[in-house]
Amino acid sequence: MSRFQAQTNAVLDDELEDLRTRLGLDPRQKADLLREVAAIAAWVVRQAKAGRTVEARRGDDVQLFAHPVIDRLRGKGDAVELPRLVLTDTEVGRLARLLGRRFEPTPALRAALQNLTSSKRRPPKVRWKKPAA
Amino acid sequence: MPLGIAPLDRGHRALLKGFKNQHRSLVEYLQRYALRHLEKDLLARTYIAIDQPTGAQARIAGYFSLSTVSVERASVVALPALDRLPRFPIPGVLLARLAVDERVQGQGIGRYLFEEALGLTLGVARSGPLAFRLFVTDAIDVQAVSFYERFGLVRLGDEVPCRMVLDLQGLLGSST
Repeated sequence: MSRFQAQTNAVLDDELEDLRTRLGLDPRQKADLLREVAAIAAWVVRQAKAGRTVEARRGDDVQLFAHPVIDRLRGKGDAVELPRLVLTDTEVGRLARLLGRRFEPTPALRAALQNLTSSKRRPPKVRWKKPAA
Repeated sequence: MPLGIAPLDRGHRALLKGFKNQHRSLVEYLQRYALRHLEKDLLARTYIAIDQPTGAQARIAGYFSLSTVSVERASVVALPALDRLPRFPIPGVLLARLAVDERVQGQGIGRYLFEEALGLTLGVARSGPLAFRLFVTDAIDVQAVSFYERFGLVRLGDEVPCRMVLDLQGLLGSST
């Protein structure tokens, strides 16, 4: 275990040393290095928890950031996302206006309701576009 | 065989990876979470539109997911508007996702899926064991906002993605 830990620490030290030089920090700035790395990691975790994909782009070249920890975070985010919608006071005001007004269906809603009760309702015919060459 | 709507189950797993949409999150939900939310988490039920032309392989042209939702307030400050509202939390059905494969967009499939989702919701509201007032969705972009506004959904927020709501009370009272 201690040998494994020693090897892991050596790898970590190398990576941190590499990051330190890339970030332009001097060898005495270990705390600054840790702060920078933590800030970057926290940003990535926040994006993943919000259900966003993290990727690096240069023109058409796109690299997706993939990591098991990120997958777990996103899974957790989805599991708690659906059952509750919490409204701000502005949203509550708009909801009140909606629920207080007379029922006047839009033409599209009226058509949808009529379609649903029609025995002639048929699904649209589908034409698949060929992928661009 | 024309386009058909079916509740998603494990038998459709092989079809999932062929689905394409410009929003990665909508593809990812179908491919990674829809079955899990159905079988394990019991959070949502997904319905897929399957296109299977004669002699060709079946493909998913679109899908939607339905879930229940509890609409609540972030604050407890008294508001004049609350006099016109039922007591919070207000129960509703959430159209959690609706997506059409990017290769078949613009052919009325989104409208057809929306009608299906609304029809299922009204069916439960009229004769199911539950009562609920709202049909809620989160529009993912401005095109989605415009699409749902055509059906009378009202946006609650100003930014996109945007929460949108339809009051079911009038629809349940109407004969059509």
